[in-house]
Amino acid sequence: MSDTEVPSDTGVSSTVRAPASRRAALAAGVAALAMAVLPKRARAQATRRPRPGPITGTPNIPNEIPVAPQEWASDSNRLLRRITYGITDADVTAAKQYGFRGFLERQLDYTHIDDSAVDAFIAAKYPYISQGTSQLYNANSGTVQNQLQQSTVYRAAFSKRQLYERMVEFWSDHFNISYSKVTYLKVVDDADVIRKYALTTFPKLLYASAKSGAMMVYLDQNQSRSGSPNQNYAREIMELHTLGVDGGYTQNDVAELSRVLTGWSIVGRGDFAFYSSIHDFGKKTVLGVTIPASSSSVGAGAIVEGEQMLDMLLAHPSTASFIATKMLRWFVTPQPTAQQVAAVAAEYTRTGGDIKAMIRVVLDPAWVAAAPMKLKRPFHLIASSMRTTTPTVSGVAGPTAQLNNTGQQLFMWDTPDGYPDRVDYWAGNVLPRWNYASYYSALAGGEVNLDVAQFMRGNAADPTVAAIDTRLFGGEIDPALRASLTTYLKGGTYNAVRVRETLALAMSSNTFQWY
Amino acid sequence: MTMDTHDEDCGCSEYKALSRRQFLGATAGGAFGAMAVGVFPDWLPRVVLAESYASSRDVILSVFMRGGADGLSLCVPFGDSSYYTGRPTIAVPRPDAANSTATKGIALDNFFAFPQAMSALMTPYTANDLLVVHATGQFNNSRSHFDAQRFMEVGKPNDTSIVTGWLGRHLATIPPLRTTAPLRALGLASGLQKTLVGAPKTLPIANPATFALGGNTATINQRLSFLQNDYSGASDPIHAAALDAGNTVAILQSIGFATYRPANGAVYPNSSFGNALKSVAALIKADIGIEAAQVDIGGWDTHSAEDPLNGSMANTMRDFSNSLAAFYLDCITTATSNGVTAVAFSEFGRNARENGSQGTDHGRGTCLFAIGKNIAGGRVMVNNWPGLAQANLDSGQDLKVTIDYRDLLAEIVQNRLGNTQLDVIFPSWKPTMWGITK
Repeated sequence: MSDTEVPSDTGVSSTVRAPASRRAALAAGVAALAMAVLPKRARAQATRRPRPGPITGTPNIPNEIPVAPQEWASDSNRLLRRITYGITDADVTAAKQYGFRGFLERQLDYTHIDDSAVDAFIAAKYPYISQGTSQLYNANSGTVQNQLQQSTVYRAAFSKRQLYERMVEFWSDHFNISYSKVTYLKVVDDADVIRKYALTTFPKLLYASAKSGAMMVYLDQNQSRSGSPNQNYAREIMELHTLGVDGGYTQNDVAELSRVLTGWSIVGRGDFAFYSSIHDFGKKTVLGVTIPASSSSVGAGAIVEGEQMLDMLLAHPSTASFIATKMLRWFVTPQPTAQQVAAVAAEYTRTGGDIKAMIRVVLDPAWVAAAPMKLKRPFHLIASSMRTTTPTVSGVAGPTAQLNNTGQQLFMWDTPDGYPDRVDYWAGNVLPRWNYASYYSALAGGEVNLDVAQFMRGNAADPTVAAIDTRLFGGEIDPALRASLTTYLKGGTYNAVRVRETLALAMSSNTFQWY
Repeated sequence: MTMDTHDEDCGCSEYKALSRRQFLGATAGGAFGAMAVGVFPDWLPRVVLAESYASSRDVILSVFMRGGADGLSLCVPFGDSSYYTGRPTIAVPRPDAANSTATKGIALDNFFAFPQAMSALMTPYTANDLLVVHATGQFNNSRSHFDAQRFMEVGKPNDTSIVTGWLGRHLATIPPLRTTAPLRALGLASGLQKTLVGAPKTLPIANPATFALGGNTATINQRLSFLQNDYSGASDPIHAAALDAGNTVAILQSIGFATYRPANGAVYPNSSFGNALKSVAALIKADIGIEAAQVDIGGWDTHSAEDPLNGSMANTMRDFSNSLAAFYLDCITTATSNGVTAVAFSEFGRNARENGSQGTDHGRGTCLFAIGKNIAGGRVMVNNWPGLAQANLDSGQDLKVTIDYRDLLAEIVQNRLGNTQLDVIFPSWKPTMWGITK
């Protein structure tokens, strides 16, 4: 090779030893190692921000990182934008009342937020999503899928537990499972893994995911057996769920972990089960940790071998950094600094992966104040449109179907990396966003009834645009946008159709695409 | 203002001639509606409307086979007995086997064969227009789908600082085929594939036939004007995308996708891949200045129940080959203003030996397909077949990579796409030219 390439499968850590327990390992001062094993990407991003240059010789055009408009001056509104699917009057008032930290704490303590109205609607409208495998097995798969997708859209738009819903979306991508491969099992995973543990601890999430029938099927773990292990899940649990691709494992570690996990599978209609009959009882070594050969008479107790591996992965400093980096990207910036990653990773290590504790570090008021804008993905945009305009809703089939046109049909990303969280992926998709805004703004009289009267102000353009500013932009609209919306509204006869068009343009505007 | 930086630093001649700012100024008044729907009443062979320009540059169709396509099923090395010992339940029978012709391979030479599911590609193969390169891929040994795809798409392994794609940099470093083209390239996808990132005038368009602004038709131009003005202050890549979208709507609406009739009796499968290639053919033949299209086809991650004869792998291969064969008949064998070269490849191959689930896990070397009238085809090219005997396998598991995929793409870029800036498109790589183009 004439290139300056370095194989990526290097860097085995032979120093990681099996912890006696997760708690012991987490307490063992691994924080000191965090910088040394920070993923390559995090280090690279920390040290250089590529700058635009002539194409010849510098073939790299980075995405610009857009700074928030100066009108976005309110700290509490900045927080609202980060942890919700869109600003509402009620949240603006509450965030001002409780302050940045106070509002954040209330959102973190989500079980004490009264969401009974949303829960009742969901229970009545989407009964499948709380059912188990044996019931769902006999249900129409398309109906089950619709209920899962629509209930997710409804909750994002109308649940008061907004931060919780944002974390549900985050973990749904982190532990991505495509409905098209596992069908109704995704419903069970959504309830019993993602939603159950979204704001608990990462170890609880990982354990639940590793014992999810849906995950077993999605990553072919149910096909794996002693003598002919399937490596799919063993690879992804390290690459995507814990260590990260640069986290220090090798192809041999993948092969060995796949042997450890033989026997992790499903029973009946897709519930998790461990089968000692297909477990590999030979000696295995993963990341320098050796599991000695044992007798098959150990039987069902051999599941602890896999659990020991989960504990090791959870205690690995690469996992702390990897989860920290992803959470920072989700809430704060596409390019977190090494210091930010280290701070959040240290909190992971200190608390044993407590998700709320990590969020408190991630959402540092100074970091949020300095954070560049993030592009709303289509799901976020659709939730925003409803959230900011409070339609009367008896169902959300229409807006949910629009996710097909905008490229984020929920739970349908085929590969286990989840929907991209990168601006270069979504940025080109502007026309479908504009068309969604047109579609939504015209909804009247159906399942979703957008009452345009709430924006109409006595045939006057200025107060109408002021109402749009309050509802869609938290009162922090860019003056140029205010002026152009006013001009547009005045460019035709003042009536409901023209106001709806103006509202569509406000939702199509560049500013509304970001948070 | 970010736009100025972009203009100054871009370095491509189109921007020197007409900056984006100027372009925006020229179009923001709704002038993009000048070529309105209805100017071209129905599907016409747009070749007759083409601007006259002399160019020997080809248009490129780039296909990414996502998921790690099993090269040993796509192009079966029946002459290597280890293929059969490694795959007791999922091998394709030799062409001279006693099996029925419905299952056994179709000989490409005395060593390689297509499975029946790839039979449609025998047409370009026997016309010497299809080249199969075997035991190719990237020397970078990642078995992660996502890293391997990313490194392949950006054109440099193990460099996570590069954000643009090889095809994006090709387009950014060569003048447009047509200076007035509103859209130079597209990805048939909801989001822009990494391969095309960095390309000027390029959008992800999942379905070109429905690329139109909704709402009241009477206010379309007013609203487009509003939006282009609103996005003029946006950052890239959003800014460029908004500008390109506004300028592209009218011209795509002028193309009669619904009534498009493929040439030479070509029949595209009614699959997402087939429909995407059909749209690309219509766009190329409409002669509006499209230079590149990126299309993805998934379904290759065959960890279980692979079955290249009747199962999932057979179905995916049939969709792949029938679609590409239709594109060949429709768009490559017919006269277009520019020639058309198609290339298809995957991030890695799969284990030489099957796993316990009648599938295969992530491997290394696989196949690359190149189709065109100026491709030196009609053969399976190998750089000394590395062999599938245990001792010859990469990590004891996989077909070795013997040719870096960048060699093959670089030759196509230089000889068929007319871009000699290979050091920009494939940084720090000195490609070997294997003679795959005529």
